[in-house]
Amino acid sequence: MNKRLRIDSTLECDLLIIGSGGAGLRCAVEVLESRPQSRIIAITKGLHPQKSHTSTAQGGLAAVDPKDPADKIIYHMFDTWKGSDCTADQNVVRKICQAAWEQILWLENRGMHFSRDQTGKLSKRTFGGHTLNFGESSAYRAVFEADRTGKGIMDTCWGESLKRNISFINQAIAVELLFKDDQCVGCIVFKQKEGEFIRILSRATVLATGGSGQVYKVTTNCRQNTGDGLALILQAGLPVMDPEAVQFHPTGIVGPGILASETLRSVGGILRNKDMDAFMEHYAPKMKELAPRDLVSRAIASEIRNGKGILNPDHNVEHIWIDLRHLSDAVHEKQIPEVTGFFRKYLNLDPKEELCPVHPSNHYQMGGIPTNVFGEVQDSTQKTVFGLYAVGECASASFHGFNRLGTNSILELITMGKFAGDRILAYLKDTPEKFPEAEGDISVARFSRYLESRGGDNIGQIRDEMRTLMTESVGIFRTDEGISKAIDVLKILRHRADHTALSAKSLRMNQELVQHWELDNLLAVSMVIAQAALYRRESRGAHFREDFPERKDEFNYHTLISMEQFGTVEFGSRDIDMSIYNEGGQFYDKFDVIERKY
Amino acid sequence: MSRENPQTQVFMINLKIRRFDPDENRSWIQKYTLEASRIMRFVDLLRKINDEQDPTLAWVSSCEHGQCGTCSMKVNGKPLLACELLVENAIYYFRTDTFYIEPLNVAPVIRDLIVDFTKAYDRVDQVKPYIIKPVLPRSEGDEFPITPQELERYVNATRCINCFCCAAACISSHETFLGPNAMLNSIVRVMDPREQEKEQRLKILYGYQGVCRCHSSRACSFVCPKEIDVAHFIALAKEGRITKLKS
Ligand SMILES: Cc1cc2nc3c(=O)[nH]c(=O)nc-3n(C[C@H](O)[C@H](O)[C@H](O)COP(=O)(O)OP(=O)(O)OC[C@H]3O[C@@H](n4cnc5c(N)ncnc54)[C@H](O)[C@@H]3O)c2cc1C
Ligand code: SF4
Ligand code: SF4
Repeated sequence: MNKRLRIDSTLECDLLIIGSGGAGLRCAVEVLESRPQSRIIAITKGLHPQKSHTSTAQGGLAAVDPKDPADKIIYHMFDTWKGSDCTADQNVVRKICQAAWEQILWLENRGMHFSRDQTGKLSKRTFGGHTLNFGESSAYRAVFEADRTGKGIMDTCWGESLKRNISFINQAIAVELLFKDDQCVGCIVFKQKEGEFIRILSRATVLATGGSGQVYKVTTNCRQNTGDGLALILQAGLPVMDPEAVQFHPTGIVGPGILASETLRSVGGILRNKDMDAFMEHYAPKMKELAPRDLVSRAIASEIRNGKGILNPDHNVEHIWIDLRHLSDAVHEKQIPEVTGFFRKYLNLDPKEELCPVHPSNHYQMGGIPTNVFGEVQDSTQKTVFGLYAVGECASASFHGFNRLGTNSILELITMGKFAGDRILAYLKDTPEKFPEAEGDISVARFSRYLESRGGDNIGQIRDEMRTLMTESVGIFRTDEGISKAIDVLKILRHRADHTALSAKSLRMNQELVQHWELDNLLAVSMVIAQAALYRRESRGAHFREDFPERKDEFNYHTLISMEQFGTVEFGSRDIDMSIYNEGGQFYDKFDVIERKY
Repeated sequence: MSRENPQTQVFMINLKIRRFDPDENRSWIQKYTLEASRIMRFVDLLRKINDEQDPTLAWVSSCEHGQCGTCSMKVNGKPLLACELLVENAIYYFRTDTFYIEPLNVAPVIRDLIVDFTKAYDRVDQVKPYIIKPVLPRSEGDEFPITPQELERYVNATRCINCFCCAAACISSHETFLGPNAMLNSIVRVMDPREQEKEQRLKILYGYQGVCRCHSSRACSFVCPKEIDVAHFIALAKEGRITKLKS
């Protein structure tokens, strides 16, 4: 082993938060508000917690206002269940939807700058898939802070954490979970700035590392979203749930993949191919542009595959057009200025005069680290792993099943963050204050290997090839043949990554070193996505198998997949919780395995 | 696949990048020449350098669409977000194809273009960017009512993403002034009707490192990527016009 690498020091705390986004910090604040003396350390890979991906969520936050005479919590529960293609867990859906409004008020009382109506109350807007009376009409259910809702959550949760003296360690990455007698006792952390490894021993540990969008070539996700939490779990021999459930947003702006929201289509934007054909009428004659996300994404991808796409030479990506030229000035100026602003800023074009190039963009990971309804992490036998919790996009409880509704994710952050916080409070009260020692040498060995490996390849190039491969073969359309080939290529890519030398051997702020580690994580996550996609020989929500285009009852379960060695996976399953249906109360029949038709 | 878009234009770009190696405590300027298409962003250029020429060049970004304020740096002296600067716009704006890129001068440099934001944020932390003592809602389970008119007075100040471009442009000394974005973070909570604790707040705002340090040069407003009129809010504070709206 490289003798320069060692663990420099050990810190102790009551609670370690790995990932300081909305979910992680909401959880931390819950603990601090009830138990102010708690010693909490929160780490983030980015420059600062405020730079987390949560800050970019735009549209809104779903919650039924109890004072709203039209909306009901049961409708929100139904929409979520139906949207999930009947794969969400009903106990989780119920708990989150019931707690939603209280959590909105929690944020409002702590200073989040929600948009207001004329009476000074929180404004609400409609959002795709959220309905009144089981699908009858659109529900005004999303509260928002202009187009900066995620920023509002992030600023509030960060501010409250700061106020309560949490210890932040920024630019620090969790590289290995520590266990003693089946209990999680902390983590090894690599501090990028100092180039040091430290051991953090904690009585409770929360994984809140966010998504894994960097697996794909075009994504709305930020650069830090390399699926680290999932990779840490796999490295620990624990399973990941439903990794094959990956959502693609139909209209990412070509090149950067920036989200061009649904609003463009709801105000009348038309999707056109190379021949200017408004092709949506061939795929969804009735709903056309307004069909659900997965359907529109598949239509666009089909057009491109059939040679009807246009190649963007600047970014070397094929795309189709969204035509906004026919919309009135009033629509341009009043209803869609923010989104069209992105086209102006990033493509230097004028959407009033020119066609706008869009392409489906990876957007969200529905699956993740399996937890129960309290955010406690489960092993492959569904036993809880003591001392370990997971919340936010890296976790799967599962509130979204195989397809997430817009505005439900940031709701999940603040509710599951709170539930996990409550559970941790009880855990801290009931367990003795001691810190079992655990060594942790996998990560140090891994980093040593990176520093010592030789070869002429380039981490960035391997990453790009992986992202292209996953987009083409394990993206919107999936087939047995394509996925199987991708699995073979992933193994080659992993081999190449192992034989890539670093240009500089310093440990301090060596981004190439960290990117090598991230690439290994991305490859691990890609491998479980591909394997799970191959195994699930049906189509469900965002997972679409061309060779098995229908949903099948025999697959009514959650995939569990673990990977002790790269490429060698083990499958398990977890039942879908159907408690609302099974209890047989009013409207129970709405929570049966129903058809997902809009 | 054919390249048929007639608008494509490729430029040869020179980037002169200020580098810093903490291991040897050495600083130098390194020149990179690369081919770039017209709508590549500066973050794409830096990535291209990493992938094709020099993986050791250190820089940092996150959301890459102007929402998080991570990739701020100076290009030909102007503090900006590298994810928002397109090649053809840069050529037009700066009237050159050679760009001098350096880190923001708001905190010590860690390596190359990466500065220690934790230290830069210390100044924001000092103004307490949270509600110190919230007004209780009128009744349990209620929101505190704020009219759109009242919110409108300070909502622009809430849009700050702490990219520190304004702090880098500010002509007042970093030693004595907490900085324009710290001031904004403070002003928001003075104007927010939900904050009860005004005394502590005003003490910081009008204290030794507060708004009195501002020379009203408006450099902050000029560079803000969010187009927030920072100087306007600071001017309001100087004039004492940020307390509650009279109804
Ligand atoms: C453009 C866009 C718009 C969206 N709009 C909406 C919307 O309107 N409504 C909605 O409900 N959802 C929306 N979403 C989804 C939602 O924003 C995310 O799912 C959510 O913010 C994830 O929050 P999180 O707290 O789980 O993770 P994040 O906010 O991503 O935070 C993860 C944290 O973990 C850290 N981290 C990662 N790896 C490590 C490691 N190894 N060690 C240490 N730290 C680590 C990161 O630095 C970061 O601090 C949107 C997503 C995108 C991309
Ligand atoms: S107006 Fe004041 S705060 Fe803004 S740059 Fe000038 S001196 Fe700095
Ligand atoms: S005021 Fe503008 S320039 Fe200054 S930190 Fe905030 S967003 Fe950046």
